[in-house]
Amino acid sequence: MARKRVSRRRFLELAGKGSILAAAASMFPRGVFAAPPSIKGPIKIGYGTVLSGTLAGYGEFHKMGALMAQDEINAKGGIAGQKVELEIRDATMKPDDAIKTARYFVDSWGADFLAGIDSSGQALALGPVMQQLDKVLIVTHAATEKLTEEWVFKKGVRQIFRICNATYHDGNAAAYVAKDLPAMRWATISPKYEYGFTCWKMFQDTLGKLKPGTTFQTESFAPAGTTDFRSHINTILDARPEGLYSTEWGGELITFVKQAAEAGLFEKVKHVLFPVGAAMDVLEGLGKEMPDDVWISGRYYFRYPDNQTNNEWVARFHKRWNHYPAYVSETAYSSLYALKAAVEKAGSKDTKPVIQALEGMELDTPAGRRLFRKEDHQAIYDVPWGKTKADPRYPIKIMGEQKLVPASITFARPPFEGPGTRPPF
Amino acid sequence: MSPAAGSRRGARALSWAAAAALVALPLLSGKFATYLGVRVALLAIFGTGYNLLLGRTGLLSFGHGGFYAAGAYALGLCSLHLTAHPLPGLALALAAGAAAALVVGFFCIRASEVYFSMLTLAFGMLIFAVVWNAREITGGDDGLVGVMRAPIALGPLRLDIAGERAFYLLAVALLAGSLWLAHRLRRSPFGLTLAGIRENPVRAEFAGVPVRRYRLAAFVISGAYAGLAGGLEVLLESNARPTMAHWTHSAEPILVSLLGGLHSLLGPAVGSLAFVALREVVQRFTENWMLAFGVVLLVIILGFRGGIVGAVEAGLRARRAGRAAP
Repeated sequence: MARKRVSRRRFLELAGKGSILAAAASMFPRGVFAAPPSIKGPIKIGYGTVLSGTLAGYGEFHKMGALMAQDEINAKGGIAGQKVELEIRDATMKPDDAIKTARYFVDSWGADFLAGIDSSGQALALGPVMQQLDKVLIVTHAATEKLTEEWVFKKGVRQIFRICNATYHDGNAAAYVAKDLPAMRWATISPKYEYGFTCWKMFQDTLGKLKPGTTFQTESFAPAGTTDFRSHINTILDARPEGLYSTEWGGELITFVKQAAEAGLFEKVKHVLFPVGAAMDVLEGLGKEMPDDVWISGRYYFRYPDNQTNNEWVARFHKRWNHYPAYVSETAYSSLYALKAAVEKAGSKDTKPVIQALEGMELDTPAGRRLFRKEDHQAIYDVPWGKTKADPRYPIKIMGEQKLVPASITFARPPFEGPGTRPPF
Repeated sequence: MSPAAGSRRGARALSWAAAAALVALPLLSGKFATYLGVRVALLAIFGTGYNLLLGRTGLLSFGHGGFYAAGAYALGLCSLHLTAHPLPGLALALAAGAAAALVVGFFCIRASEVYFSMLTLAFGMLIFAVVWNAREITGGDDGLVGVMRAPIALGPLRLDIAGERAFYLLAVALLAGSLWLAHRLRRSPFGLTLAGIRENPVRAEFAGVPVRRYRLAAFVISGAYAGLAGGLEVLLESNARPTMAHWTHSAEPILVSLLGGLHSLLGPAVGSLAFVALREVVQRFTENWMLAFGVVLLVIILGFRGGIVGAVEAGLRARRAGRAAP
């Protein structure tokens, strides 16, 4: 009797599993799997970004940029005459969800290309997966230099490209801004994870070489999810540094700035650098509460470059979404155009020719001219640094005095080991 | 032939057919369904072990993500620094899960009910913090990346598990082994004693049962299951990450046990299938999948007493009773 009951339950489980998965499998279109060498059918692009949790706002900005690119490309005849089909999926911030999303796009939905990805952990976890899936992934937000140095350059995962700038901009370029400031004693309040540690180390290495005698006295690392920065702020105030460097970002930067303003930090510390302070969620979130004369930057700033391409794009973006574009909107938008250019140059949507087309490709984008470096697939382009100031034309603080540190002198160079590969060159 | 024997034979034939279908699944469906099948199998192993503690012994732990992570990092470190062979890695993962559970359990089983739960939560998050902060060894929040799925080589025999299908079969085989072991444990005097402890620990104590030692044993066994599942996930995704130890991950085996049915062997496995499949389906329809998914889970857990398996069994019993009555 007992045996029979177990068997029946087992049967139900097995039968249930089989039928549900079979039904699910039949739901997935799998026709576009093996794309023929000539370009046929729609160009399917799977876009994975964070659409849930506290950082969902970033995903919304990704979406605005990606949707705009899709609609504009399709309105002008698509990619090589084929329609672009975009699917955007919540990849959360977790590596396992990013992997699942990538597998869904390629193995089930039949994506030709992938783009998106927010966290560094996700990007690194996708390295071997993209090699296995053998589809091009254009990373639009994750900034870890390990992705391009280790996976692409050293381990030869040629399927991954990065269109946004890397930690080099947040660490090395910040040091170039700091060297011209009359501050010799620096401190940091930064995120207590790899991104925060890496950038602070780059900043110290580069600034130490550019301006010998600079001291880095105090560091206070705030764990992910910190909502009360007062103890960190007090640690810094007690040390009385002349300059503060902080790679806090997103909602945590907003909280930190509000609490720091209350504590009078911006009066006591004259020189403050926020490498990702020019992110639109921060500028919008703080509004007029963003203090003046703070140095900010990002992966793109909507008022740079001041040329027709960018200004028209910003105007179209603002008209459609009633927001100024965030940097992830620009990288998302440009990632689709990079794929368009590559497919049209290669005359194929197959992975290998598209990789060849992307390597060393130069592309005009709203953020300016980008070059995909051949060795590590990192896009080289310039993003300015600027001092915050109010402007009656905008509800947010914008960059007043700007300083441009070219990516060509701040980005580490292949082979990433030995002398002459890290700035200053 | 008695009707009971007939239906038993029929059930056995059906279950063989179902097992064959399970094995054939990767041949019939796409790669992504196979991949999801592996995820279901891993979650089912995790949940089945966990339910020996929750459903059988009546202990609610919020720290099993820690043991899962112990197994994951054990396999990851072994693969990156010692040998990429999956067998020693998986053995280490199992041992690491059990060892971590032994240490944590030693302190936790002293408390009971909510105190026990809170202690396990604290220890789980302690493991999370250690993994997050020991950057030199664990890679911090980036995790251990680049673990390769090497073939299982046994002398002249070489089993390549790099492909999805082969790995799916390995996962299903390990799930079958896990279920069989859990089944044997539940039927053994040991398992029956655990149930006795769940029903009335005081009475068990008076009957001369060393309650703490039994609880610790159940805790360690479930930890070993968690470690195995963690190790397998590293092979699947080729990375280990600190969030595996986070309490939100510890909640998953609780959810699948509740979903499938606390008091049955197959409950967590059925729950895992429902959990993974439901999320996949919901995510296809809405971007706000978390909200919709939460509501669906709530309805199932509140609506089906005894979980999916419990509800199906009750339904079958009612039908049988209806047929028996003239």
